Parts: sequence; C-alpha cells; structure tokens
Amino acid sequence: MSSLLRNIVVVARRDFLAIVATPTFLLFLLAPLFMIAMGAIGGVGASQLADSARGAGRIVILAAPADIDALRAADARLREALPGGKAATLELRVATANDDPVAVAQEKGSDTYAVMSGPLAAPRIVEREKGSRSGAWLALLATDVLRTRAAGDVAPAAPRFESLKHGGTSIAAQQSIGFGAIFVIFLLTLLLAGQSVGMLAEEKGNKVIEILAAAVPLESVFLGKLLGLLGVAILFIAFWMAMAVGGGLVAMTQVDPAALAEAGAAAANTKASAALLAVEPATGWPFFIGIGFAYFIMAFLLLGAIFLGVGAQAGTVREIQMLSLPITILQVAMFSLCSAAASAPGSTLATVAQIIPFSSPLAMAARAATDDARGVHLLALGWQAIWVALVIILSVRLFRAGVLSGRSNWKFWKRSGGVPEAAPRRTTAIDRL
Amino acid sequence: MTEYSVEARGLTKYFEGFTAVDHVDLEVPAGSIYGVLGPNGAGKTTTLRMMLGIVDPDAGMSRLLGGHKPQSVRHRVGYLPEERGLYPGMKAREAIAFMGALRGLDWGEGRRRAALFMTELGLERVIDEKIRKMSKGMAQMVQLIGSIIHAPDLIVLDEPFSGLDPVNQERLEMLVRRERERGATILFSTHVMAHAERLCDRIAIIARSARRFEGTVDQARALLPMQVRYTPRDAGGDVAASLPPDAERRGDDWHFAIQDDGVEPLLARITASGHGVAGLSITRPGLHDAFVHIVRQVDAGFAADARADAIEESAA
Repeated sequence: MSSLLRNIVVVARRDFLAIVATPTFLLFLLAPLFMIAMGAIGGVGASQLADSARGAGRIVILAAPADIDALRAADARLREALPGGKAATLELRVATANDDPVAVAQEKGSDTYAVMSGPLAAPRIVEREKGSRSGAWLALLATDVLRTRAAGDVAPAAPRFESLKHGGTSIAAQQSIGFGAIFVIFLLTLLLAGQSVGMLAEEKGNKVIEILAAAVPLESVFLGKLLGLLGVAILFIAFWMAMAVGGGLVAMTQVDPAALAEAGAAAANTKASAALLAVEPATGWPFFIGIGFAYFIMAFLLLGAIFLGVGAQAGTVREIQMLSLPITILQVAMFSLCSAAASAPGSTLATVAQIIPFSSPLAMAARAATDDARGVHLLALGWQAIWVALVIILSVRLFRAGVLSGRSNWKFWKRSGGVPEAAPRRTTAIDRL
Repeated sequence: MTEYSVEARGLTKYFEGFTAVDHVDLEVPAGSIYGVLGPNGAGKTTTLRMMLGIVDPDAGMSRLLGGHKPQSVRHRVGYLPEERGLYPGMKAREAIAFMGALRGLDWGEGRRRAALFMTELGLERVIDEKIRKMSKGMAQMVQLIGSIIHAPDLIVLDEPFSGLDPVNQERLEMLVRRERERGATILFSTHVMAHAERLCDRIAIIARSARRFEGTVDQARALLPMQVRYTPRDAGGDVAASLPPDAERRGDDWHFAIQDDGVEPLLARITASGHGVAGLSITRPGLHDAFVHIVRQVDAGFAADARADAIEESAA
C-alpha cells in the first residue's frame, strides 16, 4: 500500500511540476483575469447606459403655483416608503395658460413617462403607456395633497422597529446557497477537470508510457496524473482566493480609517452586517465550506478519471477533442439534474441525484446547505471514492486491453506486433501459387 | 535465490490472428549476460514485454528473480524499452532521478547517482541540460542510465546499441560488464552479432516468432563446420586432389569446410601431398554466420511450408 502511494506521489509530483513550471501555466492561471476584465467592461457599459437612461427619465406635473410645494412634499414623503423600484424623477412646473401636456410629454432630451395637468381634483394625465405606474403615481400624489388639505396636518406614526434576531435563515436562502455551491463546483470542474483528457496523450507521444508501465502499476500512473492535476487545480483556486482576500485587504487600507470606523459603527447600529451573516447553510458555514471543498475534490476526481480514461483510448488530438464533447454533455446533464434537485430538497429527484455517483458531489453539496445532518456526508464521500476507484480501474483495464496489447490502431505498440512479419509470410505463400 | 533470474515458459502472444510470439522459453542464469538475438520483427520486443509483465501473454508465464511475479519485483528490475522516450522538458539529472523514483529510489540519491554516472560516461556537460536540447544518442545514454540508476538485480535492455556511435557503444559494453561484476543479471536483445559475441555468456535466437536456438555463443558457432583457408607453397600440380571435393579456389587460397574430427587427417594429407604450406587457418565461423545460418534454415522451412500449402490448395 505504501509503495502504491509512493508511486502515485512520484507520478503526481512529476505532472504537477511539469504543468506548473511552464509559461503556459501563467496564462492559464491568469485566464480568469480576462474574464473579469471583460465582465468589468461590460458592466461599466451597462451601468453607464442605465445611468444615462435613469437621468433622462421624468414625470412632469404642470401645477398651479399654490400646489407646487404641497406636491413636492407629498412626493418626498411617499417616495421613501415605496417598495420596489422608485418612480422617475418628478419635475414640477408652474402651469401657464397655453400649456399642452402632449407637447410636454414629447419634448426632446428626456424620456417623459407621464404628464399631469389641470386642477388636482380632476387632473388630466397623459401617459406614455396606458395604465403605467408613473400615471398612477401622479394620481396618488394629487390624492394625497387633497387628503392632507382636507384633514389638516396629521402627525406621522412613530413606529418602533424590531428585527428578529434568531429567526433562522429562510429555506429559499438556503436553497440559493445550495444552488450557488452546485454552480461553483460545476464551473470549477468544467474548467479544470477537462484538462485530464489529453494527459496520457503526452506519454503516448513521447513513448514514456512504456517506462511508466514497466516501472509502476498503471493504476498509480492514472491516479498519480489525476492527483497532479488536482494539485494544479487547488493551486489555481488558492491563487484566486488569495487574490480576492488580498484585494479585499488592499481595498480596506485604501478607505479612510475614520470612515471605516464610522461605517463599522453604523453597521453595528443598523445590524445590517449581522443580518447578512445570519444567512447561513443548515450545517453552518465552516462545515459547509469544508464539505463543499471535499465534494469539489470528489467531483474533480470523478470527472477527471472519466476524461483521463476516455482520453487514454484516443490516438490523436482530434479524437481527444471529439471524445471530450460527450463527457462535457454528461457533465452539463448532471448539473441540470442537481439544479433541479436543489430546488426540491428531500424529493425523490434529490435522492436520485445524490445517489448517482457523477451527480452525487454536486447534489450532496446542495444538501449540506438545506439539511443539517452531517453523518450522511461521510457516507456520500465514501460512495464517491469507491466510484473514483472503479472508474480508474476500468480505465486501466481498457487501456491495457486496447492500447497496451496492440489491438488498437496505435502504431507504437503495434509495431512490435505482427504487421512486419505477417506481410512477408503472406507474400511467400502467394509467390508459390 | 535460485540459479535463474528469468524463467519464462511458453510465452505466446497473438495479434489479430497472427502469432507474434509462439511458445518462447527463456531461462537466464543469475549473474550472466544473456543475449536475445533475432531479425527485425521476429518478436523479441513482445517477448521481453511479456517477460516483464508490461503486456499480458495469451499463454505461458514468466517468473523473475527467483520465482516472483514480474509485477512484484519491479523495484529490482531495470528496463530500457526499444522505443526510447523521455519527457523533453525535463533536465537530464531530473529525468534520471524520476526514473529511479519510479523504481523506488530516493529522489536525492537518484540525483546524486545521476551526476556520477553522467560524468563517468562523458556526459558531464549536459547534466543540467533539458532532454529536448540533446542529441538522440545522448538522450539514449541518459535513458540507459535512468534504467540502471536504482542498481537493479535484473537489467533488461531492448536493442541498447542501436543509435549509438562506436565510442558510446564501447562505453555501454563497459557499463554492462561492470553491472554484471556488481552482481546483476543482464539480458539484452540485438540484431548486431558483434556485441553479443563479445558480451554474452548465453544467447537465444528468436526467428519467425519462436525460439530457434539456445546455448552459449560457442555452441551456436559449433552449428557450422570449421572453415579452412589453405595456401599451398607450390601452386603447381593438382592441389585439389588432396583436398575435400567442395574446396573452392580464390586466388592462391583454397577455401573449404571440415568437420571437427577432420583436422588431423587434413593436416596429414596436406603434408603428404608435397604442395607445401604457405598459409593455413582453421577457424570457427563467427556468430554472425551461425545466426544467418539458423535464420535461413527457419526461412527455408517456412518457404517449404508455403510450398506445401500451395500444392494442397491447387490440388483442392
């Protein structure tokens, strides 16, 4: 057993160093930077677009001078309590004799959603879309002004706000956490595990496979390669986590300490941050993150083993590319299954997703978010580990039977076989005929 | 430890209906240098692969180093495959240490020994050079060092001399002898007879997928009669009358074969003939001739089979 482990480590070490110590790896490591940069550019563009649109949007009231202040006060009072999206900016104009609301609504330079004119008791509202919220808002303002005038100043209610301290996280939030875990694990395995498909092509190309096959059991070669790649993946993840944490720290030092303290005090007062942290998976954050990482490793090993096994059968780069598509489709199918299962915890679908070995890591990570049972995860990890071993053993069997015995069309192993000899034998027979 | 380092019996491998290796036996005495000879494509490499457990035989079995399964004594075996291969991006020292580590050698020790071996073999300039920058012959020497770096008890080299210049061939022969002195058993395949003749204690000749000869080099050479070259002092008269009927004249010399017990009667006849002796050599043919003789016999047998097949077919 220890010698098996040793062999695995030797192969893994070689692969890890061979991958990491190349300029290409730097490109690979920094690839998400391009993604982030593209995302940032897109985001800036979109927000600029939204900003410009928001600045231009307005609603207009053409009001008698006496009503202007009352309308402005009503707008300020009601706007704050309005749930959801705020109404467009209110523009108040003093009405004149020859005002045409339609002309105002069609003024260039800004989007005018609705224009109200005429007396408050019976206003004329011109709206861009029939039954729009902007039109209703203007009517509400008019009504409010009228009501205030009729009733006089009423002191606003003085409520005392209380928040639930330990109400627990809502099921919806937990399901979102579960789905987030599925998505992150899926994305990482999709990005990283697929690389194993071409790993044995290198050995086949440079003929090192025979040295490996002669020196150590092929199982340790396969597992070693997989672990080497896992090391690369973990390095990749650790690098970006460190970048994120480092970025956060730098951002904090950039902020004025006084402002920071103020913000901290404010946060303590409003309990906003506490509310944010109160959203937690059923098993608790430390356990959830730990088990999520364990499931990532399992998902990586399972998919990596399939990719590696299939890739080992391929003879050419083109075959490798062709073969990786069905596996990617399998991966996406498992992701869809788990997503569906995550939205229905405890259902039959969820149980099925947790049992199928290739979706099990994703589905179980989601389960950790919604179900506080912890023992079942040990069981799941064991079940998945068995399948990793099975896939590797099967891959090695196929590799030995197909590639190593010379039955495939792979010329390296076949050369030692029959072809050069079979030919002269046949020709002598034909010659004698 | 038993007296054999390799005991392989009845190794057989079929490739798509064709028998690549047909019931080949190999018995390699411990501490010997053993040659597996054969023409290209005879099945040498497949035999070695089956012997080492890299390829599973369709029939037969192989035991190494005193009755062990090949897979269980990997750390005591060194193997240089016919298809040379190293990771091109690795430095020579690392590549050698890696191959040692695969066979259970400590990395640090592997690196240390790699430098020693490379210096000894005149490769000290390229110890920290990447494999891709080396010539083919240099890379081959690096791989050779890699396959013996862990001081194995059994060293199997598949065509080790091909691709090496004469100087490196000489160094390799030196290395093989030294490994044997250390106590290792060396088995190598080749189709160059000169190396086998100089190095091997015993040889096996594989031709047409089967073993056709096994024994010492001298036994192989004894398969052919001794060759005589006789130069009479007095070329006049009927020299041929005192020589065997198959004697052939080339210039002043007469060439013919004699059986082992024919030396003394020949000397007596030559002396009695009165033609004198300007030169006389009686030699065993080299391994080269013995090898060609054996392979030709096998080929002739196959041709005869084919002829028989053809007759049967035309009769049917």
